[in-house]
Amino acid sequence: MHEFGLGIGHNGTVTSTPVNFAAAAQRLNRPNPVMVGTIVWLGSEVMFFAGLFAIYFSLRSMAPELWAEQSGLLNVPFSLVNTLILVSSSVTCQMGVFAAEKSKARSTSGNPKDWGMVEWFFLTYALGAIFVAGQIWEYATLVSEGVTLSSDSYGSVFYFTTGFHGLHVTAGLIAFLLVIGRAYAVKSFGHREATSAIVISYYWHFVDVVWIGLFFVIYVLK
Amino acid sequence: MKANTNLFWLLSAFFGLSAVVYTGWNLLDDKHIVEWVGTVALVLSAALGAFLAFYLGRVRSHQGGELPEDTLTADIDDGDPELGHFSPWSWWPIFLAGALALVFLGVAIGPWIAFIGLPLVLIAIVGWCYEYYRGFFAR
Repeated sequence: MHEFGLGIGHNGTVTSTPVNFAAAAQRLNRPNPVMVGTIVWLGSEVMFFAGLFAIYFSLRSMAPELWAEQSGLLNVPFSLVNTLILVSSSVTCQMGVFAAEKSKARSTSGNPKDWGMVEWFFLTYALGAIFVAGQIWEYATLVSEGVTLSSDSYGSVFYFTTGFHGLHVTAGLIAFLLVIGRAYAVKSFGHREATSAIVISYYWHFVDVVWIGLFFVIYVLK
Repeated sequence: MKANTNLFWLLSAFFGLSAVVYTGWNLLDDKHIVEWVGTVALVLSAALGAFLAFYLGRVRSHQGGELPEDTLTADIDDGDPELGHFSPWSWWPIFLAGALALVFLGVAIGPWIAFIGLPLVLIAIVGWCYEYYRGFFAR
């Protein structure tokens, strides 16, 4: 008792060990729930496309001669160019994310080196829109050649798989507009706006990888 | 978080192995064909597990330490951070749900209903996205 006030040291007559754990509250970067949630949701999207791939493969194994005949109608060079456009849109999207992570919403000069998130995302939007337009042109050509959703199992599964992918790209385009709009809506571009830019890039890369899978299966393997 | 990551790697390995066994078994069977539905589902289940495990592993190495919920000596209030921004009173989710219900109803019984629902979906999405970006919350 007489040691009171002499600072930290022996705790008197108490025999229990003093609690001396290191302070548990370190500075932590908590996982961002928006990003983790987006990844988990994309995991469910993997399984959605797994269903589509499974439909494709099992129908193909049932009717190999139909596949041999119909897949000859595909315009592979055209689709390859379209694929490259979509892949390059993933690159521009990532450039936009790098700018967003630096809280750089708008460009400081016309030089692409100084572009902000908004400029990169507009470019990504344009590339994605070209891809969708290319898909529609390809559909129109194939329909004129007699491949339709209801023509045979090849037509059904072709439009089903690429169509659902196209719908995903279109939804991504709308999401890009919403994220760009947020950048315009705020006076200072902050953490929340950057988060939405990052999660849409997750989605966009995912849709891009799915297309690479589809392109490989439908146009290369046939 | 470490346990979660390991569990997802484990699941991924399990599904990968199952895919190999399943496909091999089918090939050894009388018909000698690959049954694609199961093979694709198992392979992509493995991909799903690996995808989540990889991401959670990255998150963990980025956070610079263990979260309080993974530390045996942590107190309850150590794990009481800002988890994110959640609106306490938003009406947009239920608006969106109703609009989507109209779209799917339309797809099921008559497309004209979907054409009414679709603009409502767009309104709901824009409204929800910009709820904290306008009016009283503009910043």
